[in-house]
Amino acid sequence: MNKILNVSMSRREFLGVTAAGASVFVLGVTLPFGRFARADTGNGVMNAFIGISEDGTVTFQNPFVEMGQGTYTSIPAIVAEELDIEMSALHIVQAPHGDDYKIMFGNTRRFTGGSLSVRSSYDSMRKIGATARAMLISAAADDWGVPAGECSTEPGFVIHKTSGRRRSYGELAARAAKRLPPAEVPLKDASAFRLIGKSIKRTDSFAKATGRAGFGIDTRVEGMVHAAVKQSPVFGGSVLAFDKAAIMQEPGVIAVEEIPGGIAVIADLFWHARSALDKLPVTFDDGENRHFSDKQYLQKIQSRLDDAGFTAEQEGDVVTALQGAAKTIQADYDAPFLAHATMEPMNCTAQVVDGRCIVWAPNQAADSVAATAASITGLPLASIEVRTPFLGGGFGRRFITDYVAQAVTLANKLGGKPVKVLWTREEDTQHDFYRPLTAARYRAGFDGQGNPVALHITIVGDGPFRRHLPGSMTNPDLDDSVIDGAIHQPYEIPNRRLDYVYAPVAAPIGFWRSVGNSHNAFFKECFMDEMAHAAGMDPLAFRRKLLADHPRYQKVLDAVSTMSAWKGKPWTAHDGKSHAMGVALHESFNTLVGEVAEISLEAGQVRVHRVYCVVDCGFAVNPAIVTMQMESGITYGLSAALGEEITIEKGRVVQANFNTYPILTPQQMPAVQVEIINSNEALGGIGEPATPPIAPAVCNALFTLTGQRIRTLPLSRSALPGA
Amino acid sequence: MMTLVINGKTHEVDVEDSMPLLWVIRDVVGHTGTKFGCGMGLCGACSVHMDGKIVRSCITPISAAMGKAITTIEGLSTDGSHPVQKAWIEGDVPQCGYCQPGQIMAAAALLNENPTPTEAEIREKMINLCRCGSYLRIFAAVKRAAEIQGESS
Repeated sequence: MNKILNVSMSRREFLGVTAAGASVFVLGVTLPFGRFARADTGNGVMNAFIGISEDGTVTFQNPFVEMGQGTYTSIPAIVAEELDIEMSALHIVQAPHGDDYKIMFGNTRRFTGGSLSVRSSYDSMRKIGATARAMLISAAADDWGVPAGECSTEPGFVIHKTSGRRRSYGELAARAAKRLPPAEVPLKDASAFRLIGKSIKRTDSFAKATGRAGFGIDTRVEGMVHAAVKQSPVFGGSVLAFDKAAIMQEPGVIAVEEIPGGIAVIADLFWHARSALDKLPVTFDDGENRHFSDKQYLQKIQSRLDDAGFTAEQEGDVVTALQGAAKTIQADYDAPFLAHATMEPMNCTAQVVDGRCIVWAPNQAADSVAATAASITGLPLASIEVRTPFLGGGFGRRFITDYVAQAVTLANKLGGKPVKVLWTREEDTQHDFYRPLTAARYRAGFDGQGNPVALHITIVGDGPFRRHLPGSMTNPDLDDSVIDGAIHQPYEIPNRRLDYVYAPVAAPIGFWRSVGNSHNAFFKECFMDEMAHAAGMDPLAFRRKLLADHPRYQKVLDAVSTMSAWKGKPWTAHDGKSHAMGVALHESFNTLVGEVAEISLEAGQVRVHRVYCVVDCGFAVNPAIVTMQMESGITYGLSAALGEEITIEKGRVVQANFNTYPILTPQQMPAVQVEIINSNEALGGIGEPATPPIAPAVCNALFTLTGQRIRTLPLSRSALPGA
Repeated sequence: MMTLVINGKTHEVDVEDSMPLLWVIRDVVGHTGTKFGCGMGLCGACSVHMDGKIVRSCITPISAAMGKAITTIEGLSTDGSHPVQKAWIEGDVPQCGYCQPGQIMAAAALLNENPTPTEAEIREKMINLCRCGSYLRIFAAVKRAAEIQGESS
């Protein structure tokens, strides 16, 4: 049973993790990258990632957070494979912030997202494990006076077969940690894998089934006070006035303080803080966004669907090809603002004491948390300690550190007292960083035989790259986060063009699971269906035909066709109702996913019975977790497709809680069948790629069932037959 | 001062009688396994047992909990050995895990009332929200928990 309960450990604690038991062994990530400084702590710390204590426990500092996607299983399993230990020997903790843990993008960054954890660190994690193993072997060989080449390992032990000697990693760790790590280490042959490529069990199930898993909201620190916050209901507004005296006599109230864009009531208990906050007279200056409405913004972007914009992709000449086409079709699509709605509302605990700032924050980017805390407190980064617990969902929301800023701002005013900021569900829904509302126009032309000759796409909107990571934009006119999933698609059409029209939006926007793919797969895969019908072809056969030179895509399509026993026409199912299937195929994060949805209508509502899903992520490092993430991504995308939308009136979000922002219920959950194809292409991500295809698969099924083409989401907006 | 019995232990708490049971359990008594999700009884993350029946503690004032036996996830078993917990671990049900204490309490209450639920009954009765998509595994684990419970009785 793995010992992960609370998952954060300070650098000091890590270095001392085995000090009590004498020897630890820590090995830094720096090691395989040429930045390694020998830990030489004399207590078994092999590198920044691995510490081995005398009893053989291997403490692994994971640079990736666990928010459900399985990084506390898949990542340590890669290390355990090469280090040669049992998974049960692992004690998994979250790495602190800092350069030692920036193992992505050439050792420059570290965050958890972009479906990048496994694929960005697979090689590094193997080397980290293999290097520690080599150092343990080297220490044992010296002890025994035999060549290292004669030694091998069994999980947790170095062995010398000819003499029958064996020594545990725990016994060797202290000395092994003092050895110079070898510059090159052999990696295991894939045929010898015990853990990689196997459906090994999750390490966090026990903690999560017993209530012991520590989430941010569960942080309890001696002397801690609680804060409830109310932010300006209009984005960008500020506090004008408040009457503190009116609530200071309320039970437990300690203080009322301003935070960026809002007000906080601090009390002995959260319930006291939020009850008093409800009674606090406060007025806001609504600021310049007080007239913003999503409907007006949608009209605005729809009015620009024929703008030239920035041409992001061009092959051939679409204008001429469309003019000369025997047949043309055109369709406009849009997709709404969406909230992340993590089950655990935003929260953060902070303490500023003795020239240090400690932040307990569920986050997807520890370095951003540290930078936020440093800028507010004026302390150097080295004086900031970030403790990252389990995340009650992330989905891209916890990249943004607005809630961290609130907790640190308050802690900075509280003279050493730790304070926990917790948002209500209403605050969480109304102060998210939303999936941007986006619109697109698709135009296609066909020759006399029904072959597509031209595809012209215009996408209008704003994106999270420009908003949050402008430095990552290589071209100031092109925001990849808006067009991802529309550009460079494999369907072979001789004349193609993609124009992007930047239309700045006043609402807060961010990274929502699968980012641009979330809307573009809906637009693109629904339009592919429209094209298939215009060409008089079965939608699956039509796609297959356009993928003649892309066998990897065809294989996914064929597999999902076989798995679903594909039917291009409605049929009467066992329940006596008319059912229909829809298909969608989409690549995102280097992973191909094909989905077929089987639906019917019940009282004017779409009922999704089954989803068939085929995924090719190159190689499934943990097939069980890949399957879970397909189920998860489908659930998330289906939830949005059926009923989620954030609307904004007078600069204020209309939805507030799960009654107005309905997420998928257990009763709406379809059966899901998943098949994994190991193509052995480059590793792809798995946290996001199942989300994009589900909305178009369902909408395409609806068209087959009813002839009604859905071009706006969610489906709850459209009047369907039987309603 | 009010007297609450949580997981067989008596607690004297000095709070307003309107305070939701959830916040007494979490912030006063200090059992953090029970989660806050919505505050309106909509999601079920705060589910606990009151005299063996499922209640949503975020909308249950503690005045309504006095004299009742409250069980939280921490009291279901001390070591994860309750049949529902065993089934959850066996099936690797949790993803982010945040809603799971509530899901497990709901499943345990369901099996108290109906030790051998059909698949349709499980689908009808398990109504707590999960954002990660663990629903299918929840359904399967409830069925499995019923088997484990049956084997041991």
